[in-house]
Amino acid sequence: MNVHIVFAIVLGSAVIAAAESGRFELNQFESECRASLQEPWRTIPWETSLIEAQNIAAREKKPIFIWAMDGHPLACT
Amino acid sequence: MLDRASTFADRGIIELLKSRFIPVAIDQAYQRRQQDAEGEFYRRIAGQGPRNDFQSTTQGLYTAAPDGQFLGYTNNRGAARVRQMLAEALNRYQPSEVASLQRGSPDARYNPTPPEGGLVVRVQTKVIDGYQRTNRKWQRIFQQSISRDNLWITKQEHRSLVRGEFPRSLQRRIARFHLVDNTRGEPPMWSSNDLREVDFKLDQNRFTGRAKLSTESGNRKFDVRLSGSLDITGEKVTRFELVAHGDFEGEGRYTRGAPKGAFPLAIFFSLADGTDIADSVPPQGSRGWVEGYLNTD
Repeated sequence: MNVHIVFAIVLGSAVIAAAESGRFELNQFESECRASLQEPWRTIPWETSLIEAQNIAAREKKPIFIWAMDGHPLACT
Repeated sequence: MLDRASTFADRGIIELLKSRFIPVAIDQAYQRRQQDAEGEFYRRIAGQGPRNDFQSTTQGLYTAAPDGQFLGYTNNRGAARVRQMLAEALNRYQPSEVASLQRGSPDARYNPTPPEGGLVVRVQTKVIDGYQRTNRKWQRIFQQSISRDNLWITKQEHRSLVRGEFPRSLQRRIARFHLVDNTRGEPPMWSSNDLREVDFKLDQNRFTGRAKLSTESGNRKFDVRLSGSLDITGEKVTRFELVAHGDFEGEGRYTRGAPKGAFPLAIFFSLADGTDIADSVPPQGSRGWVEGYLNTD
């Protein structure tokens, strides 16, 4: 089995076990926070300036997709 | 939060956005107000959609051509609905030669930048326990979420940290704007009167301390301990790691659904290195009032 899959299963099991017991594990919490920075939505090449997005869209002749929220969607919550 | 774990976790949507669109993420509370080219372009697009009253929220997902022609809108987070909206936009879109817009003079009120010579610190928060178990997908997303914000540290405070001091302004900024439960939405911040006790220390590059925060009515409280450490290389902080952990109680208008009674909440602070897409986002607490955020009383 791929070593990354084994690592993910072990980490996942530890996270679930600690979550179910409700105890606070500092190292586990830090690991979860660092891992959350690898979530799939972060692989999308988000621009943060609409003008910059328009410039790229005009150059590449592509439509613009705007994720417009109350509070910045990349952070804030 | 919901969007990140649902809509933008969908592989089909991710691939479409990567290959067929130019994706941009904005806080529309800025763009619908700002008086500059960016604001004008946003209002031109959103004004063609269903949320065209710029006195209230225009939030949602939009598609538009580079000339500002509206192609579609949804405020539905379901992946199927968003995929449909993207497909319809691609059908409607007619590629043509369009001039690039000029940035002009950005409206300074809505374009804050991190303090020069200061630091940007990532802030991530999680409710550790206390929720009632649920099988409802959307509720589970909120219950398991790790929020993300940024702490801005000024040049002067950066220098103080290098000298081994934990400046009062930084202690109070952390307490007021970052010891909050923002895991289910935009949180209420603490007022200066809510800081009943804030006593953070830096000794031999190690952080310790505690804070007691409570609204006047007592409907929100946080009794929290803090620990961590930093590294300094030359005149710069090169590592800044801090964990705040304690019992939180209460919720805000946009953060409904907190566990009943007191529940454990943890917050992790770590130095941003610019590699995460959210590192450039201004702190939520600075929204509309950067000076007030940086000059925390």
